[in-house]
Amino acid sequence: MSEAQAKKKDVVRVDFAFRRELAEKVEGNLSSFCYQCGACVGDCPSAAYVDDFNPRKIMLMVLYGLGDELISDTSILWSCTNCYNCAERCPQDVKPAEVIISMKNMLADRGIYPEGAEKIIATVMSCGRTVPESSAVDKQRAKFGLPPLSRVPVEDLEKLVQPAGAGGEE
Amino acid sequence: MENRYAFFPGCLVPARYPAMEFAIRQTLPKLGIEIVDLEGTSCCPDPIYFKAKDKLSWLSVAARNLCLAEEKGLDIFTNCSGCTATLSESYHLLQDPDLREKINERLSHIGMEYKGTSKVRHIATLIRDTVGYEAVAETVVRPLEGLKVGIHYGCHLLKPSKIMNVDDPNDPTMLEEFVRAVGAEPVRHDKWYLCCGKACMDENAPDEMMRDLLTTVRNVEAEILCLICPTCFGQFDHGQYRIAKKFEEDFSTPPIYYFQLLAYAQGLPYENLGVERQRFKPECLQRFSMLDTVEEPAS
Repeated sequence: MSEAQAKKKDVVRVDFAFRRELAEKVEGNLSSFCYQCGACVGDCPSAAYVDDFNPRKIMLMVLYGLGDELISDTSILWSCTNCYNCAERCPQDVKPAEVIISMKNMLADRGIYPEGAEKIIATVMSCGRTVPESSAVDKQRAKFGLPPLSRVPVEDLEKLVQPAGAGGEE
Repeated sequence: MENRYAFFPGCLVPARYPAMEFAIRQTLPKLGIEIVDLEGTSCCPDPIYFKAKDKLSWLSVAARNLCLAEEKGLDIFTNCSGCTATLSESYHLLQDPDLREKINERLSHIGMEYKGTSKVRHIATLIRDTVGYEAVAETVVRPLEGLKVGIHYGCHLLKPSKIMNVDDPNDPTMLEEFVRAVGAEPVRHDKWYLCCGKACMDENAPDEMMRDLLTTVRNVEAEILCLICPTCFGQFDHGQYRIAKKFEEDFSTPPIYYFQLLAYAQGLPYENLGVERQRFKPECLQRFSMLDTVEEPAS
């Protein structure tokens, strides 16, 4: 094998389709500034407590566009604690936690979403809060002289969350 | 100068921990802060699950909440680190004109427009900045002298620091100062910087984190653990009980929301604090109630 051929074999093909889709998300393109220094790893609790979780490696996979592993049923991204220590340490303002959330959005677009999370969102969409109103809640509040929980106009929330089909202008 | 602020209560405090809301409504007027309630606020929405689903929807719902305060021409204060994170970050993100336009297009469907005129602060930050620690100390009639108070800041009050802009995330002092203001003695556990793990969806890691964290809380012999976030509170109350059982360890430091501690130091009777539903009750506080009625000789 010639030297040129050997080199070609090791070439990683960047999946730009993945990167473009990620860049569409709010703050999804921050990873472009990552120069792989690894400052994000030291204070990452998930790196310390979860096997295989490493924010630097996740950012490297993003740079290469290696989305198959990250955007999958067994994605390690859900192990992020959202503590933002990585963002504190990053000299490039990449905010790995934020890039990870953008990729969670990509997972959700494909219907890959932990059940517990789905439930919380359904509760918010049905009553406007993560904890539903109930007579038990109002009874507890009354003990402290507090008025019953006020109603949240959930019809407004629906319009904000699903505006695309609703108006048809987008 | 008017000290009126829009109160953003979120979900957990009003619905699950009304005792915390009660404490806020008891303590703030004594500090000269007028609470203005907002009609129709929703979940902030939560910065973990809702945000993970779709950031634009998350931002739109957050912007609606911010608009409610803007309509009253008031800055907002929050009582939960999660709400603080969502609303502060939204305020920050919506300074971007393109993003603001996108969100305002959505808001137009409900006849609202985000303008960016209401600032967001956690209640602790608000008090520090507008009233100050000394003024807090002046409202204390029952100084908690000698009470050793551990402090857990949690993550989202402080980080990302460029957005939250609250305190040095590597060496914060705000809650220590607040604990000193009620006459108590703050102590720092070794793992004060560690996340409580609540948002991590790994099967074992969150419990391991909590175990390490609680071990260092126990090691500094804190009598009580002071918190400023209802989510952290849940982790350290029922969560602590679960971890103690799971690992067969003696973890039993009662957690307390700072404003309940302040309400007590301002003279609210222990019985009115609403701590009876806690798994670990802060009974150590009762020794200060004894000092209230010194007419009767102790022995």
